[in-house]
Amino acid sequence: MSSDVIPAALVKRLRTTSAVTDEDIKAIHDLPISVREYPAERAIVRDGQKATECCLIIKGFCVRSKTTAEGRRQILSIHIPGEIPDLMSLHLHVMDHELSTLTPATLGFINHDTLRLLHRRQPNLADMFWRDTLIDAAMFREWIVNVGQRPAPARLAHVIVELRERLKVIGRIEGNSFEIPLTQEQIGEALGITAVHANRVIKQLRQDGIVAFHRGRVEVLDDDKLLELAGFDGRYLHLSPAL
Amino acid sequence: MPRFHFHIEENGRLIPDEEGQDFLDGDQVRKEAIATGASIARDAFMTGSACRVVVDVREENAPFMKVSITLDVEEKA
Repeated sequence: MSSDVIPAALVKRLRTTSAVTDEDIKAIHDLPISVREYPAERAIVRDGQKATECCLIIKGFCVRSKTTAEGRRQILSIHIPGEIPDLMSLHLHVMDHELSTLTPATLGFINHDTLRLLHRRQPNLADMFWRDTLIDAAMFREWIVNVGQRPAPARLAHVIVELRERLKVIGRIEGNSFEIPLTQEQIGEALGITAVHANRVIKQLRQDGIVAFHRGRVEVLDDDKLLELAGFDGRYLHLSPAL
Repeated sequence: MPRFHFHIEENGRLIPDEEGQDFLDGDQVRKEAIATGASIARDAFMTGSACRVVVDVREENAPFMKVSITLDVEEKA
């Protein structure tokens, strides 16, 4: 894999969300990144594990999750190419949740020592990655509001709209449809409802002419209705350096 | 273990479950049915879309269990 392709989505995202300089981009391209292929639904770093590297998603989808003592899994966030979902492990040494793949994925691992050195040499990049983890926290706040306060159809609508906004930044939206490779059970785990309830919600959104799911892809049938149902306000994604 | 289908009725309107799901034992089916009924009922009651939710669980085509949840509000004043 060429060195341009590995951080392509990351660079695209940083160009939109942060004030990156050409020097920053060059430093990212020069980073030693070790690329590994993962199958679907495989743990990358487990809860309780000590991490020594951060994981950049090059291709595929990942999730972060936590499982209760009774064995109920809550999906905490969904991640797409260009994101480094365990960036916090640079400072929080033992994982307090799990990062795993959702689909087969190409992952790039960056050693913690390498990242520390980069941050010292280029404080602008350190600021940018700090901002990245703050946006991550903002997304968690929205996720809490979503699962705590919205009815299930609105929860799903919100997750769909947010993912679309993020996929847009890295150029992964084709027309009205895009990838959401979650099974019914995983949608349930993300929304805090059972798989059967998730199935019922998916059917309702289809019947109401809002969105249709086809094998890991979602097709938006009525954008206005979708946005209204989701009650989406994208400020928390901070998708420009001014926000 | 055979597949279980969870048909949902809200105010008598049926939402069939064609796909069904596999479970390890009857206890898991029971838990899933109650959790599903409770969470669908919560949404239905809060949004006012229905006041009765039934989860009709079938093992292949045979009745297996039925969970019914009804909202009953008595105005006292």
